[in-house]
Amino acid sequence: MTEPVAASIGTPPATTGGVLDRVEVGGTRGGPPTRRRRARPPQRNPLRAWLLLAPALLVLGGLLLLPLVRVTTMSFEDMSGLRALARGEGDFVGLDNYREVLGSRQLWLTVLPNTVVVAILCVVLTVVVGTLAALLLESLRPRTRALVTMAILTAWAVPAVTGTYIWIWIFNPGDGLVSEAAQALGLVDPGGENWFTNRYAFFAIVVINVVHHGYPFVALTVLAGLLTVPAELTEAAVLDGAGAWRRFWSVTVPLLRPVFAVVTILSTIWDFKVFTQVFLMPGGDGANREVLNLGTWSYVEAFGQIEYGIGSAIAVVLTITLLLITSVYLRTLFREGELT
Amino acid sequence: MFSRRLSTRLATIALASATAFTLAGCGEDTTSGESGSNNSQSGAGKTLTVWIMEGTNPDATPFFEKVKTDFKAQTGADVDIQFVPWANAHDKFVNAVGGGETPDVAEVGTTWTPEFADAGILADLSDRVKDKDPLVDSLVTAGELDGKLYGMPWYAGVRSIVYRTDVFEELGIEPPTNWDELLAAGQKIKASKPDMIPFPVAGDSTFGLLPFVWGADGEVAEQDGDAWKSTLDSEQAREGIQFYTDMALKHGLSTPAATTWKETNLRDEFVKGTVAMMISGSWTPKSILQKAPQLDGKIGAFSIPGQDGGLSRSFVGGSHLAVFDNTDEKDLSWKFVELMTSESFAGDWASQSSFFPGIESLLEKAMAKDDPLVSPFAVQMKDAGETVPVTPAWGKVEAKKTIGAMLQAILSGSKSVEQATADAAAEMTDTLKG
Repeated sequence: MTEPVAASIGTPPATTGGVLDRVEVGGTRGGPPTRRRRARPPQRNPLRAWLLLAPALLVLGGLLLLPLVRVTTMSFEDMSGLRALARGEGDFVGLDNYREVLGSRQLWLTVLPNTVVVAILCVVLTVVVGTLAALLLESLRPRTRALVTMAILTAWAVPAVTGTYIWIWIFNPGDGLVSEAAQALGLVDPGGENWFTNRYAFFAIVVINVVHHGYPFVALTVLAGLLTVPAELTEAAVLDGAGAWRRFWSVTVPLLRPVFAVVTILSTIWDFKVFTQVFLMPGGDGANREVLNLGTWSYVEAFGQIEYGIGSAIAVVLTITLLLITSVYLRTLFREGELT
Repeated sequence: MFSRRLSTRLATIALASATAFTLAGCGEDTTSGESGSNNSQSGAGKTLTVWIMEGTNPDATPFFEKVKTDFKAQTGADVDIQFVPWANAHDKFVNAVGGGETPDVAEVGTTWTPEFADAGILADLSDRVKDKDPLVDSLVTAGELDGKLYGMPWYAGVRSIVYRTDVFEELGIEPPTNWDELLAAGQKIKASKPDMIPFPVAGDSTFGLLPFVWGADGEVAEQDGDAWKSTLDSEQAREGIQFYTDMALKHGLSTPAATTWKETNLRDEFVKGTVAMMISGSWTPKSILQKAPQLDGKIGAFSIPGQDGGLSRSFVGGSHLAVFDNTDEKDLSWKFVELMTSESFAGDWASQSSFFPGIESLLEKAMAKDDPLVSPFAVQMKDAGETVPVTPAWGKVEAKKTIGAMLQAILSGSKSVEQATADAAAEMTDTLKG
């Protein structure tokens, strides 16, 4: 793979005092191209460019765009019952579906709080734990690092279904690991406490599960970033008398801001639509109405009831919410022109 | 500049991993191939796609090999059997309807048949099944909509109570014949065997609760003209629900863990040897003994006693075989259903899967066998079998877990019986409107 032109040109950064304003350094506006041949404008033949893009566009269009358009149109239709589904179209009902979704008390009292609070907790904890793991990995020698990385990766490699069942076993009332420990310590009655029936305990377990499953991705991505932090920057900071804490916040974090943006946005998107980790928990499939989140609620209310119009409306609302959150993130995380 | 290089690389990493997730999320599609055959019979060269629920028969391969061979000999056509797990079968049917990719023939859960029939995706079998007498009544009822038959009864099961004969003998308890005796038996076990759960009340088991609703002369819902109205909040239903949940909450015969148990959890605990009595399906004793051979000779079954004697009604659930309306091969498909429900194949299937066949004569044969792990269930099925409201909207009630949510709310203490039954009845009446 060839290096992008933009990345291979420019002036080297100043080693003193240049850390914090590194943002302004570099870019295509700057120095002259170092390799002449590469600088020849490639867009002589637009047709060729489109031809090369065509396979990717077709796949994206087929897999992403088409369903997106269909979901949007369906959210304005009355697609209830198998009959409408078999016919493949419903009557146009305007905003009725949206009115029904947004007018639901359950949505505002249970579903949204569950979703949002859990998502925030999960994102924050995933990023913090992942970053700590990355810092640990960075400080290890290569062989040890490989070993620890593999250990961490197993948590990621385990499918969400399997992982969820493992956490259920651990917290299983009566004979789970945690239950037995709590009973041995005399914290709960011998019969055991059923944590799954308590909304807060239920979601505490969900958060542990989601963070455990999600942090390896953050750790590896942040580690990849950490390894590209030039040694001379850290050296300069050490010479300036900065301690580890200061170096982390003033050198590492600003440099890795794009990395954090990527992992935070991806985690937010994933954690907002957590489904498996809730649905498979005891009572999470709708039997315990207190613990419904957006994913399980839409499944139970829309797909279980064969109300595809409602389901589509929920999907559209979720997509727009996530787009908004993402754009707010991008705005706050980056001053203008930083993310290219 | 560092940030640029970094972000480019990281974006590539992120994009690659994101793509991997997206692609991993795509389901696989099944395609039915046409296989050539030079057989001169009518079905030669044709292939029927058939969906069968997974796990009913622990080892279904030899059975279907024989079916395929016989069907090929009879019609010249091939059969492509695809196994579908129960857990996502309903979704799979719905998706297939949406995508226009339904099979030719499928095993359909009896509570789903009216729903699918109402949607117009099942073929009307009334003309083909002229004589319904040999078929088990409750299964015929469940397969009918507006007087037309859409599901051909195949097999069924019923829930009764499975118990530990060794514990009962040791404590000198006789199988209970009414609710007071059931409670007394549980209390006696609780007093003498503190490590055992006398009668776990599984919160996520609708069909464990319903016998107590029906046993107290309550009903799940009643039809008034065209409209269905849930009667879970009636005095009788509440009395039964109160008794059932009191066994857990007031008398401590259950365990807090059971609040979120499904029937499968119940069985797993029984296999561990910690459970004395449980509501359980007629198909379970065999698998219990397979998993826990040490319980051989120590388990028995009794029909669910009525409140003051007699029997409490219990749900008869099973499967129909249905032909899909948009198949090009209706005659061939029906021939396949006929073969599967023929006495020899239906009998083989029933005995291999420990379910009861949907044919009356075969059911009577099963009852005549004096097997203590079979006859109490057969009696329950024949004398006190019940079905849930036969309406296309029942599937939605199941999907919404209305009854499970009600039961769990009571068991976890978040709602009283009055509150929970009132909420559930209102929700169910609303759902049954369609």
